[in-house]
Amino acid sequence: MVVDRIWRFFCSVRAAIAEITILAILVLAGTLRGSSVPQAIADIFPVTTPIINRWYAWDVFRSLPFAAILTLLAVAIAVCTINRAPGIWQAIAHPSVTTTHGFLRNAEISVLFVASMPADALAKQLESAMRGNRYRTLSEERNGEIHLYADRSRFSRLATFPFHLALIMILAGGIVGAAWGFRENEFYIPEGSVRELGHGTGLDVRLNDFSEVYREDGTALAYRSDVTLMRNGEPIQSGSMTVNNPLTVGDIVFYQSGFGQAVALRVEDSAGQVLFDDALPLGPFQSKLNPDAPAARMDFLPAGVALSVIAPDENPANAPELDTLHLRPGEMFFMIRPLGANSPITQPIGATVRQGESVQLGDLSLSFVRERRFSVLQVARNPGIPLFIAASVLLVGGLAITFYFPHRRVRGIVSTTQDGSVARLAPIARRDWSAKRVFEQLASDVGRRSGIDPELHVNEPASPTTGSGQRSAPSP
Amino acid sequence: MESLVRLSFYCFAAATIAFVASAACYLAYAIGRVRLRRRTMATSVGTTMVAHEASLEPAAVGVGRFATLLAWFGVVFQATSILLRTVAAGRLPLSNMYEFSTTFVLLAGVVYLLFERWYGVRQLGAIVLPLIVAMCAYIWVLPAELREVNALIPALQNRPLMTVHVSMAILAYATFAVAFAAAVLFLIANRWHVAWLPSPDLLDDLGYRAVTIGFPAMSLVLILGSVWAYRAWGTYWQWDPKETAALFTWLIYGVYLHTRSLRGWRGSRSAVILLVAFGAVVFTYFGNYVFGGLHAYGGV
Repeated sequence: MVVDRIWRFFCSVRAAIAEITILAILVLAGTLRGSSVPQAIADIFPVTTPIINRWYAWDVFRSLPFAAILTLLAVAIAVCTINRAPGIWQAIAHPSVTTTHGFLRNAEISVLFVASMPADALAKQLESAMRGNRYRTLSEERNGEIHLYADRSRFSRLATFPFHLALIMILAGGIVGAAWGFRENEFYIPEGSVRELGHGTGLDVRLNDFSEVYREDGTALAYRSDVTLMRNGEPIQSGSMTVNNPLTVGDIVFYQSGFGQAVALRVEDSAGQVLFDDALPLGPFQSKLNPDAPAARMDFLPAGVALSVIAPDENPANAPELDTLHLRPGEMFFMIRPLGANSPITQPIGATVRQGESVQLGDLSLSFVRERRFSVLQVARNPGIPLFIAASVLLVGGLAITFYFPHRRVRGIVSTTQDGSVARLAPIARRDWSAKRVFEQLASDVGRRSGIDPELHVNEPASPTTGSGQRSAPSP
Repeated sequence: MESLVRLSFYCFAAATIAFVASAACYLAYAIGRVRLRRRTMATSVGTTMVAHEASLEPAAVGVGRFATLLAWFGVVFQATSILLRTVAAGRLPLSNMYEFSTTFVLLAGVVYLLFERWYGVRQLGAIVLPLIVAMCAYIWVLPAELREVNALIPALQNRPLMTVHVSMAILAYATFAVAFAAAVLFLIANRWHVAWLPSPDLLDDLGYRAVTIGFPAMSLVLILGSVWAYRAWGTYWQWDPKETAALFTWLIYGVYLHTRSLRGWRGSRSAVILLVAFGAVVFTYFGNYVFGGLHAYGGV
């Protein structure tokens, strides 16, 4: 009993509509969270500020209600599909042929064929004419009358299954990608440097070269990274990537994401031990000395200091009052701060250094080797992609078949009269304007093929607000 | 190239004029004409009483035909404008709000005229053409520098995907505009039974047919956008506000399609959902003004 009720709930179109509506509302809430709309509401109605702050803090798309409604929908789709399949197959393979005079009389549109030939001859002629219009015809004799059934595009009713299956596959693709793939959103790598990719790949990436082309207004027109992938120090593949043209290595894909300025730096302690000899990307860090300038921070825990590197302002005209350093091109500002309780210094020490020069700050010797650039890559392995591609094909194909090849059905009865026979045909097309037009064309063509003038009868449909809403133009 | 861009804008200006005139004619055709009658009656006490009677009557068929002709003029001018800009830019104009909106104006005009031809319903123009005129007005108030042709930023440098993805979005929005117009007329025809408006059944069917084009197109927008995102950013879904706004729109039309299979929902309730859904379209279309995220470059 309870199982029946649950089953019926999942099969209910009304429940499906409610679920989609809730999902849509959550999607809207998440969308607005990424916009300035909530802030505008808070500005107009300050009393709403606490709610707005909670709204901004709520990551809708990673929340439990969102996951729950997606799960509910996926289950509903699966259950509904299982529930509908036998009925749909029955309608395709073994439709009911017989009908009633009441149905034909009350149909919103019907056509009458009056002929002087026997009923079976008229039925055969009509069937032949409808088959000429790519309709499948079935007939059955009952109580001295011949019942006709004709339909076209019957297999299109199956298209609802790939469409709904596609929705589940897309969700499954997302789960597979999250569970068995990985994604590195910001893989910083300076020119000439080697970085370990991690994620169990055993790969190292070397950025051989980075190049960019600028427009007149100073914005980037194109940029490219040339990289070599290495395993155990041995190069395994080299290639380049630009935005929109990723580099694929096996099942791992490298994407060009961004770029910026880097500084090649050598740091030694007082004993001459090299603490750092590589390039440091500038940009992810913001210094109070000039918030607009590319900057970086690096901690040297054993030495007990934190190093800040600040480059010249890229746009000195922008907020010049914030720039306390006034660095010139080719200069860098190095500053060390105490780090930890055992730091050898008690207050920050800084110095401006020119390219190729060194400076002693506390116990550290810092060499500004040269300016470089760094590239930001995104790296991903997503085993869910084949599922997503298959789902996309099924989704669009299912929709196209459902919408553009609707199942058209016609019923009729051929009766014997004193002068011969009469046939009345009507479509299953309640309040379906297109289906009625298609039927009119069919009636006209059947009349032309059979040589019998069709007599069209039109009944005014019931008021749209009170109609039964019988389904003849299927939804996906 | 500059002269082509300027000529393209002049063609858009001509199209605007044609669309404004067409919208006025469609409105006159749909509303009908007010007929005033004056009756003079003699009373039993020897005085004369004058009565004035006003009634709404269908407009002349010629007004509707003229509206259609003007709409075709608008479409031809706008197609020329798009063609000239395509030649000047070496690509379809789809990369910023100016280009997107000018192409939308063209497709909305074409889609409307096709539906008018298929269904023989001119009254629909009284809703769609004012929408097109509103979009023209929006284009006119956009910053003038957007009219210049600029090289594409790296993220947009995928011509096949940009062409299909953005074109599908425009096609979807254009057909949804027609569906919206059908829903508005449905509600009017259903509420007031205006004799010269098309039957509610026809309008209901027209709205549904428009959605059967727009919904697959919107599905393709989401799919191709995902494919493009995967190529450019390494992930096919980022929960970016523009993406999720498009998903929201798609879901609302999904609700609409499901309601059509429900007893008692086809008709007025479905029409109301179409109105809400078009609100979602407008939200998605102009969302760039309030969204941050990955589609921010498409703003204005």
